[in-house]
Amino acid sequence: MSDRDDKLIAEANKLSTEISPERDLWPGIEQAIKVPQRSRWTPRLAQAAAVVLLVGASSMVTWMATKDQARVIEVVPVDLVFEQASFGGRYALGVGYQEAHRDLQAQLDTELERLSPEARKEVEENLAMIRGAIGQINKALTEEPDNALLQELLVQTYREELAMMKRVGGLTQHVMSREDI
Amino acid sequence: MKKLIANYLVGAALLVLASTASAREVDETIDAASDGHVDIINISGSIDVYGWSKNRVEVTGELGNRVEELILERDGDKILVKVKVPRNNSNNISSDLTVRVPEDSSIDVSTVSADITSKDIKGEQVLHTVSGDLIAEPVEDDISAQTVSGDIDILGDGSDIDVEVNTVSGDITVIEVSGSIAAEVVSGEILVRDGSFHRATLNSVNGEIDYQAGLRSDGKLSVETINGDVDVQFSGDVSARFDIETFNGDISNCFGPKAQRTSKYTPGLELSFTEGSGDGRVTITTLNGDIDMCN
Repeated sequence: MSDRDDKLIAEANKLSTEISPERDLWPGIEQAIKVPQRSRWTPRLAQAAAVVLLVGASSMVTWMATKDQARVIEVVPVDLVFEQASFGGRYALGVGYQEAHRDLQAQLDTELERLSPEARKEVEENLAMIRGAIGQINKALTEEPDNALLQELLVQTYREELAMMKRVGGLTQHVMSREDI
Repeated sequence: MKKLIANYLVGAALLVLASTASAREVDETIDAASDGHVDIINISGSIDVYGWSKNRVEVTGELGNRVEELILERDGDKILVKVKVPRNNSNNISSDLTVRVPEDSSIDVSTVSADITSKDIKGEQVLHTVSGDLIAEPVEDDISAQTVSGDIDILGDGSDIDVEVNTVSGDITVIEVSGSIAAEVVSGEILVRDGSFHRATLNSVNGEIDYQAGLRSDGKLSVETINGDVDVQFSGDVSARFDIETFNGDISNCFGPKAQRTSKYTPGLELSFTEGSGDGRVTITTLNGDIDMCN
């Protein structure tokens, strides 16, 4: 070891082994540990994101259901859905579907009032039959979430439900309105 | 007290008499265009529409005794036949009418609780009812028939037309029709027999679907049911790509390969193959039901 090396070691030994912070950081750290972190995903932001996702997905499903067109479906993760129609265990149909369903149900309820008790009962029983089928497929889909046949049948049955509500409501309205000619 | 009971009995008797009063006969005629449009509206009872060679619309039959009037009027090429009833009284309005229209007319028949029959009409037909059966024999032109509660029977003459039929609760039977068909039922059976199609779409939620007809070389047959068996018997050769699947049921076919299990854990079966040059497309799916296919 040279004289130069000895000198360097001696100088190094004189240095402090600790660096004191300019200010006490613990209170901040402690607070950060105790108080739950607030994510940048505030409820409002998450809600907005979910709405954007759901509007897209549901519009697609609703358009399919009401326009009787192709069978393409987008689904969104269930934890982003606030009000949902089940699509197996993992997914749900969202706001667009719900809105279409609500509107058609309201129209149907109005039109059912104008029907005879027998016809009303028949419509309600058949609607219950479709909803029973949806439950049946959903249950099977929960056990086999990747089954393409079940997915297709479920979409088709949701579509059938909306189509029936639209058809019955529309037909009754059409026939009844002819009375006003 | 005796007087009160007597008054009550007299009132009741008058009510019964009023309700059983005889229906009014009707027999009216109006000139019409040879290929115009005829709108027919009758809330309750029955409507039979026949095409004939005369350029006149004739309405015969019986009007319910509470019916206000029979409207029969012409506006250009359009004829309106309407049984006008009181707005807030649906008792004793049932009317049974036979309407004869020029055979090339198109017709639109709307009822609430009435059966509709049409025959020998060469123009387009639209038939609506809420509760009632629809029976039609279209000639050369398209037909759309909708009912909520009732059967639909369509008997064609073999010519190519578009048929669109749907009922919520009832059976659909379509015989000797060719061209395209879209049939939909919630609870009930669908039978399509004879004819040949370039497009056939048959859907049911609860009920069997039976297709006994031809499929053209580039035709598309789509059959879907949730709970119900499917029986497809092609008349003549078929050239198509087949995709057949049942989640819970058997598949038996007299041509093509044998169906395969979709999973070792579930009872589902699927079958995909191409027959002939594969120009057409056949898709059959069911959740719970057996599928039979032959030619």
